Amino acid sequence: MGYGMVIDQQLCVGCAACTIACKIENNTPVGFNWCDKITRTSGKFPAVRYEYISTMCNHCENAPCVAGCPTQAMYKDASTGLTLHDPKKCIGCKACIVNCPYGVISFNWERPHQSWTENNRLAEGCFSPREMVEESGGEGSPHGNPERGTTYPVVRARGTVEKCTFCDHRLAKGLAPACVDACPSGARQFGDIDDPSSEVSRLIAKHGGKGLREELGTRPRVIYIRDYKPQRRFEPARPAGENQGA
Amino acid sequence: MNSNVSLKDFLTPTWLLIAVGLVVGGAVGIHEMFIGHWFATNSSLVWTLPLVTYIFLALMSTGVSLVLAYGLIMHDETITRHTRALLIMAIGMLLGAFTALATELGSLLNMVWILLSPNPSSPIWWMGTLYSIELVLLIVKLIMDLRGRHGVFDLPLAWGTLIVAGAAAITIGAVFGTVIGRPDYHGAFLSVVTLVSALVSGAAAIVLLRPQSALTETAGRVFRQTALMFAALVLIRVVYEAHSSVVGMLGWASVWMLVPFVLALLLLQFAPRVLALVGILGVLWVQYSFIITGQLVSLGQTAHWYGAVQSYQPNIPEALILVLGIAVAAALIKLGEQYLMSNQRQDAT
Ligand code: SF4
Ligand code: SF4
Repeated sequence: MGYGMVIDQQLCVGCAACTIACKIENNTPVGFNWCDKITRTSGKFPAVRYEYISTMCNHCENAPCVAGCPTQAMYKDASTGLTLHDPKKCIGCKACIVNCPYGVISFNWERPHQSWTENNRLAEGCFSPREMVEESGGEGSPHGNPERGTTYPVVRARGTVEKCTFCDHRLAKGLAPACVDACPSGARQFGDIDDPSSEVSRLIAKHGGKGLREELGTRPRVIYIRDYKPQRRFEPARPAGENQGA
Repeated sequence: MNSNVSLKDFLTPTWLLIAVGLVVGGAVGIHEMFIGHWFATNSSLVWTLPLVTYIFLALMSTGVSLVLAYGLIMHDETITRHTRALLIMAIGMLLGAFTALATELGSLLNMVWILLSPNPSSPIWWMGTLYSIELVLLIVKLIMDLRGRHGVFDLPLAWGTLIVAGAAAITIGAVFGTVIGRPDYHGAFLSVVTLVSALVSGAAAIVLLRPQSALTETAGRVFRQTALMFAALVLIRVVYEAHSSVVGMLGWASVWMLVPFVLALLLLQFAPRVLALVGILGVLWVQYSFIITGQLVSLGQTAHWYGAVQSYQPNIPEALILVLGIAVAAALIKLGEQYLMSNQRQDAT
């Protein structure tokens, strides 16, 4: 069993709904995006090409962040194949950040969501940030999603790292990661990449596909299929009406 | 233990400088550990001058240990007569290094997991383990020396120190050399650089801090020989970088880095302490350059946040951590000299 994701570049419209959904679901601090993007512009006018590549932790099979972590705080979960992080064991050495070739791990230099602890009101009759948190009942910020807290702290500790977990808390309930559900064009598919009969494996078998920086031997589990080509924009990636998700 | 030390012994310019370093650097360190973040870092450039300080001092301590172990194994009296002083130096520098590291680590209280949940595939785990063993070995040797216990354990302890210190220096290089996907960090070459830089800076530190003629001569010889090797390594790297077509490699070596070592090679006998200091600064320059350069290219999505290639200048709080590390080392060395060396012969031999 190994969860993985397929991103269909032909279908991705670069709307960043995945990024926003992730931010809300996982309560990431200002300046951190577990789900983000690489953009590339190439060619010469008029033959210019723009690529939007949605990025996140690749949950590499051969994860250098795990190999480099001195305390096994960053580890591979044997039952799901996910690369997960145990903040209790994290000493904040940042070896995982230096070792990850994808730049997807962030470090909490400050206490996350610190600005929400402030008690000053901008104007009479307004809520102060702290009052807003209290009023909303959120943890750390008004957006603190309590469901996130079932497998990972809603507010992470200062001095530890954090990164995408493929929404392990949602997977535990049989749901797909938030970014997959939020994608308006169905560009993201999620499932067991080790099972040849899964949708993700079928898509890879049909279209080929590549992970990022595969030459490094990390065996990433986020696979990009079908570079965008305008001439095939009406071609379906899979039969209409087929469901997405885990 | 010297009981004749009085308050007057602490009212010296050296102690004043050390005290200022401890107070100012200590304040920054405490702020960084418990209150807020002042260092010039981000999620792409994470290891900056404070980490360089740790590596610089740890390797210098390793170098002193290696020179001492060599002297004990080869029965070189010019070195062994200064065993206690060299042990104090090595311990002081290592504790100075650990102090700088403590300000850099995010969650010190979780350090217990290094023991409870070790990961032997991690070079950082090996680095921490080897330097902890090294510290224990040095302290055991110092206690044995203070108690006048010399005998069957001396040689095995010296060999133990030689092996552990050598392995620790090589492992520091491996922390960077085993990283994949960052061209400036790649390969076993960095382990050779860290091992040789340990010897250069350790031997230079002995020349600088123990200006006794016979010891200066022996340590100076080691310094000159290893400086030559180090200059050769830097030159090899300069040539390699000039011809390299590796995508994303910025290159950390420059021909100017050869100058301190060439100067030391040619002129050491005329001004040993000044040139030892120049050599130490040269080593710091090389270590700083390779550690920082390796992180300047932003990987993946971080390029959007910080630019494709970052630039880095240490800020004042980071510089003060360098001051703190050196001040801790200097304080411990001075204390050791004042309290533990009264009955030792320190004359020029
Ligand atoms: S993408 Fe980076 S953080 Fe994620 S598993 Fe791979 S190496 Fe680790
Ligand atoms: S920062 Fe934490 S998770 Fe990352 S390598 Fe260090 S201990 Fe492991």
